[in-house]
Amino acid sequence: MRVIVAGIGYRNLRDHSIGIAVIDRLLERAWPGDVVVEDLSYNPIAVVQRLEDEPPEQRFTRAVVVGAVERGNRAPGSVVTYLWDGVLPSDEEIQVAVTEAVTGVIALDNTLVVARHFGGLPDEVVVIEVEPGVQEFGEDFSAPVAKALDQVCELAVTMATDAKAVAGLPRCPLGGDLVASVGLSRG
Amino acid sequence: MCFKNLPIEFDAQGKPFLRAGVANPYGPSSASPQGAPTQLTAERIEDLLKRNGYIKELDFDPVTRVAGALAFHTVADFKGRKVLEARSMATLFRGYEVIMVGRDPRDAIFITSRACGVCGGVHSVTSAMAIEMAIGCVPPPLGILIRNIALALEFLYDHPLHLHLLAGPDYSAAMVGPTNPSLLERARSAEAPHAEIHGFRTLGELMEDLNPLSGKLYLEALHMTRVAREAYVLICGKYPHPQTIVPGGMSSTITLTVMNEMFTRLAQFFDYSKKLAAIWDDLTEFFYEANPAYKQVGARRANLIDTGIFDHHEAYDATYTGAAAWGDRRWATPGVVMDGQLVTTDLHALNIGVEEFVEHSYYEEWSGDGQRQHFPADPVGNPLSPYHPWNKVTKPRPQGQNWKEKYTWDTAPRWDRQAMEAGAYARLWNTAVARKLPANPFIESTGTSLKIRLPKGALPELELEWKVPAVWNAFERNRARAYCTGFTALVALNNWLAAMDRLKKGDTRTSTPFEIPKRGEQRGVGFWGAGRGYLTHHLTLDRGAVSNYQIITPSTWNASPSDRWRQPGPYEEAVLNTPLLEETDDPAKFKGIDILRAIRSFDPCMPCTTHIHSDAGVITREVNTCACGVDDEGG
Repeated sequence: MRVIVAGIGYRNLRDHSIGIAVIDRLLERAWPGDVVVEDLSYNPIAVVQRLEDEPPEQRFTRAVVVGAVERGNRAPGSVVTYLWDGVLPSDEEIQVAVTEAVTGVIALDNTLVVARHFGGLPDEVVVIEVEPGVQEFGEDFSAPVAKALDQVCELAVTMATDAKAVAGLPRCPLGGDLVASVGLSRG
Repeated sequence: MCFKNLPIEFDAQGKPFLRAGVANPYGPSSASPQGAPTQLTAERIEDLLKRNGYIKELDFDPVTRVAGALAFHTVADFKGRKVLEARSMATLFRGYEVIMVGRDPRDAIFITSRACGVCGGVHSVTSAMAIEMAIGCVPPPLGILIRNIALALEFLYDHPLHLHLLAGPDYSAAMVGPTNPSLLERARSAEAPHAEIHGFRTLGELMEDLNPLSGKLYLEALHMTRVAREAYVLICGKYPHPQTIVPGGMSSTITLTVMNEMFTRLAQFFDYSKKLAAIWDDLTEFFYEANPAYKQVGARRANLIDTGIFDHHEAYDATYTGAAAWGDRRWATPGVVMDGQLVTTDLHALNIGVEEFVEHSYYEEWSGDGQRQHFPADPVGNPLSPYHPWNKVTKPRPQGQNWKEKYTWDTAPRWDRQAMEAGAYARLWNTAVARKLPANPFIESTGTSLKIRLPKGALPELELEWKVPAVWNAFERNRARAYCTGFTALVALNNWLAAMDRLKKGDTRTSTPFEIPKRGEQRGVGFWGAGRGYLTHHLTLDRGAVSNYQIITPSTWNASPSDRWRQPGPYEEAVLNTPLLEETDDPAKFKGIDILRAIRSFDPCMPCTTHIHSDAGVITREVNTCACGVDDEGG
């Protein structure tokens, strides 16, 4: 069992940077040898290629992916955790995702869709989404997202190291299910 | 005498001056673009729409979730199968020109890079060059050579990406089948003339492998972007926003190991370039033969502009005074092609002919009403227009969309008042005709063509020859871009060899120390290029800080709106000339493939989604235009 804990986002974009901020924090911790913590905030095609570079016998079997995603139907600072059901959108939408990937868009959904389509992801993908409150230049978080940071870090640790906790997660499409997902808090 | 519209003449020494006796030399009526096409008036279009049921609006509506977007409005005559009105709309303002004011100029290298997610590095280098000119700092030869190689690697990322991920699917079986089934049928039995190079026995097989997501050519292009990216990060730290570009050169440490690792990646493009040229030759000739009307898809006047790129390491001195001389020694020659004829290769003439207009853009005028023109002349005394980037002031003014008035965030750059097109093909055209290439064993400029001698790989050594085309259209843009991949790889090889010579001689210096002056006013311009062509950053410093910063990108030119003379921008003109060749008489089933081929052939690179709105509803189509271009600021 090898696990990759990955953050996705842009730096200096306030709440939208939480994926990277979580990784920065987690990198300060000691981790078991089978857990890799990495910032995957770059071209999703390059992410696929990075994941495929792992030797076959050492491919990751679980990915824990953390980032801010604006769904708009939940309060800022809400944290939603789920096992992605891996269902991909239509080919046309995947084409759009690839186009965005190669032209510089970095987003959690996009990265997962592209990485899944090209076979870069393990079957087990745990998504930890944070609903951002603001999107603007800056280093600090809005109050609800700042409040969620510790919780998100702990969730990521749990999902990386506790198979039972992962097994208990609901299996959801991208965006999760507000009722079924765990770890939901309202900011 | 390269100017036909602006009242600029040249003395016996070739020095430009304003013609005497012209009261307002840059006024709209003093110089208008002679021979340029014009858009129909909005009133005429409204009348046609009202009176003819077969004339319909097709609105290409953007998705603005991405950073920057292109939208397109057309009015099409489904009976005559032609486009009557075309309006190019950049729907987002990014504001780099506003962001930069008041900052330390060194910030520009990192901030303006963010204008583009494909080729941010080109902005970094262009801003470094503008700073170098302003402060008087010259990179050492190895710094220039490595900068050239970095640029080439960005293009080797961009060209395959555009050809087989963005434009390629328009020519795939998945797209040709539904829009022109008889064409796909014909392709299935059409033998491919260059099968021995690209490996596809028929055009039908080739089209199958252009299919998005699953086609071998699509997947191969994804792989090749990795190869180019890996080589780039060896010298620039990361992609697409480099960390090693500095005024005065590069901060990278260049060793033989780095050079060798880079070469193993660069060499993979020699064979790949052979394949690309063979594929786009076969596709182009097949479409022409199947229906000569395809020569009209995306057709427009061959009005091209390019600043030239890839400085000769023994020529570039970072001065404006020397620009005409060092420009002439570039590996891609600067130049302006007007109606298919090369009219100048002089960077000074190129620079003073540029103006930006905002009549149909969401900006306020900055000239006129007694406002002082900041720079009446360039640094060597050549006349400058009040509409020149060094005189321009960015004054955003968001407002509602109105075809008669303002409808885009892009400006309308013009050269000698003509709508010019930027692209990889412009650098190929200038270089082929000008015959100014530095001596080298791999690339030859013949005056009518460019010979590109690609070394042996898995495929044998091959000489490609790109010939200046007789027609200028969407197919020729793509074909030229395919040939440009080989040209770029060989420019990189020449520079790699020269860099190795410097290293062998113990010359490892890649940058020159510099200081930002804290007093006085300085100005500079970076004349450089993105994968899709022309790129300039015009910079003015005041007491050590940026007081004005103006970026013109290839997509600023290509996506530009109509101007005050009703002359359409390049996308608009190309779409206006595009026949609707889809095999359907039902507007509700119309996919707009030929219009999209026309637009995509320019290699616009900002991801956006275009919805073609017809009476039957909205059809979603993907269009890409550069985040760094279609708005005012941003490759």
